[in-house]
Amino acid sequence: MAAGGVVTAADETAAAAGVRPGMRRREAETLCPAAVTLDADPAAEAAAFEPVVRAVEEMVPRVEVAAPGLLFVPVAGAVRYYGGEQPVVDRVAAAVAGAAGPGAGIGLADGPFAARAAAGAAGPGPLVVADTAAFLATFDVSVLGTAELADTFRWLGITTLGELAALPRAAVASRFGPAGLEAHRVARGEDRRVAPRRVPDDVFVEERFDPPVTGLEQAGFAARALANRLSGVLGPWGGIPHRIHIEAEAATGGVRSRVWRSADPFTEAEVAERVRWQLQAWVEGGGIPGGIARLRLAPADLSDRGRQLRLDQDGVSEMEARRAVARAQALLGPDAVLGAVPQGGRDPGERVHWHRWEEAPGPPERDPAAPWPGRVPTPAPALVIPEPRPLEVEWEGGFPVRVRLGSRWEPVLAWAGPWRRTGRWWKGEEPADRYQIVTSAGAFLCEVAGGRCLLAGVYD
Amino acid sequence: MDNLVDMSPDPILAAEPGRVVGLVGHPGLGLTRLGLGMLAGPARLGPVAAVDARGWLSPAAAWEVGVGPDRLVVVRCADRSLWPRVTAALLEGLGAVYAEVPAGVGDAVLRRLAALARSRRSALVLRPLRGGLPSGLAHLRLEAVGVRWEGAGEGHGLLLRRRITLRAAGRAMAGIERVVEVDDDGTHAVRVVSRLAAAPAGQATG
Repeated sequence: MAAGGVVTAADETAAAAGVRPGMRRREAETLCPAAVTLDADPAAEAAAFEPVVRAVEEMVPRVEVAAPGLLFVPVAGAVRYYGGEQPVVDRVAAAVAGAAGPGAGIGLADGPFAARAAAGAAGPGPLVVADTAAFLATFDVSVLGTAELADTFRWLGITTLGELAALPRAAVASRFGPAGLEAHRVARGEDRRVAPRRVPDDVFVEERFDPPVTGLEQAGFAARALANRLSGVLGPWGGIPHRIHIEAEAATGGVRSRVWRSADPFTEAEVAERVRWQLQAWVEGGGIPGGIARLRLAPADLSDRGRQLRLDQDGVSEMEARRAVARAQALLGPDAVLGAVPQGGRDPGERVHWHRWEEAPGPPERDPAAPWPGRVPTPAPALVIPEPRPLEVEWEGGFPVRVRLGSRWEPVLAWAGPWRRTGRWWKGEEPADRYQIVTSAGAFLCEVAGGRCLLAGVYD
Repeated sequence: MDNLVDMSPDPILAAEPGRVVGLVGHPGLGLTRLGLGMLAGPARLGPVAAVDARGWLSPAAAWEVGVGPDRLVVVRCADRSLWPRVTAALLEGLGAVYAEVPAGVGDAVLRRLAALARSRRSALVLRPLRGGLPSGLAHLRLEAVGVRWEGAGEGHGLLLRRRITLRAAGRAMAGIERVVEVDDDGTHAVRVVSRLAAAPAGQATG
């Protein structure tokens, strides 16, 4: 079977002649002239694979399909239930053999990457890996799947996953970037067990069909539309899922669901494709009598890849961010690059405790929990003028009526206050009254002290 | 769309990777807070920066609109000759930058920064302190035309909520200029309350 001119699968006869997946089509035809090359049809493969998935699913819930022919089975729960890894593996093997006949590769290890490698390395019987890191150590770096990265590693003398795993994490991060970091994780047998970002349970997209969808073409359209909406919901900052939960309700009422997973986060097109394959498998297998009345997609395991920043998890972006801030500091000096934390105080300016960005904030100068009588209420003015400047205000009977903004006088539409700050008389400070003054050009925070009016902030 | 839970902010008010938002209008009309609010999304993922050209910017406003205190770098840069390099340095490594543009920064500089933001997939919110922005620079251009405050009366009450009227234009609006009203009550996220097609030029009132 071939896709894009490359062999994706070969039957026993062809394999005996030396045909291997990944080979160019012409090369394969030279080795085995009698071979019939078929174009890969993943949807048909998914449909053919469906009975296997269902057989395993009956024993272990929450299985995840990665590709037609590749199924991940999370066994943590099943191991407890069946009392050991071997009984679980034996049962899965029996189920697969019952549904598809012998010849399946079955492996058990920590994490999907190692499990897949174990399945590939398994003989006729299942392979249970006890020590995942040790098992992976002998593998060539090419199994990482990124040719470019593997070549770089090899060029540096790192040929096996064991050698890669032995490198310090920070060094890999700084030299190879996010891809290297991920490879390093995989090589250490820590394949994405670093708690993926949780998705709130209520994030999903759903579509109801009336009349129900019965044709495959229609189902393909629905899949694409829903995949598009899903990526809209996740948004430009929301990340992309590693797993996708597909749920379909039949016109007669039954609900089927299936999880598809991928080592790489799904793109919108890939989501659409998986949904289409799954729907085809269900429809052709008679799993959805009467057609699809409702279809729902829910993402899981959001990846941070594809976004600019992965600071929570990713040392590389964090370093980039730090470097960017350091550059700004080099240009402006450390006192111009600031962080801030809230603290107590009566004036908006007082309630911000500044610190140099790279340094931890010191203890707050003013207790945030104290009552601070006379404090100006929220919202905070977005602009706070450190040295309040004179503001011309016209008063009538103690009420502000006009404010001079630049060259024009603006009538005061509304005002609130005053909030009084009793000055520290022992330091010679006068009490000040603060007013919020609203004009058609915006709202301002003014301070009146000793008969003078000052502009202290702008509610911009 | 009944069951669609929309996590993403209103596209008009969201800073997007690689996109430039231009905020144009007099101080007082509410653009600072609006611009800081655009950092809230990217700040969930990592530090973001606000370039303060006057030394007036208050992080308290940013906290109120959803930017975590530990995520906001305030960079004070009043020097117009350093401003382009500082802003460029921040765009190189941060997901989003809100930058007040000091008077006198040339159009070519702004175009270079916009190109940098696109290539680094960083979001850039430009807020010129005087004048406008070169045409076609901003993916989304929001011009404040008015603000109404609620809550304060004749010496009673206090500022509670504001509604800003904005003229939205640019590629983000698919070439159709619209008047957008934005509500902000200080506690919830800023949100769009209505969207009207702009009155044709010459017929505008108010």
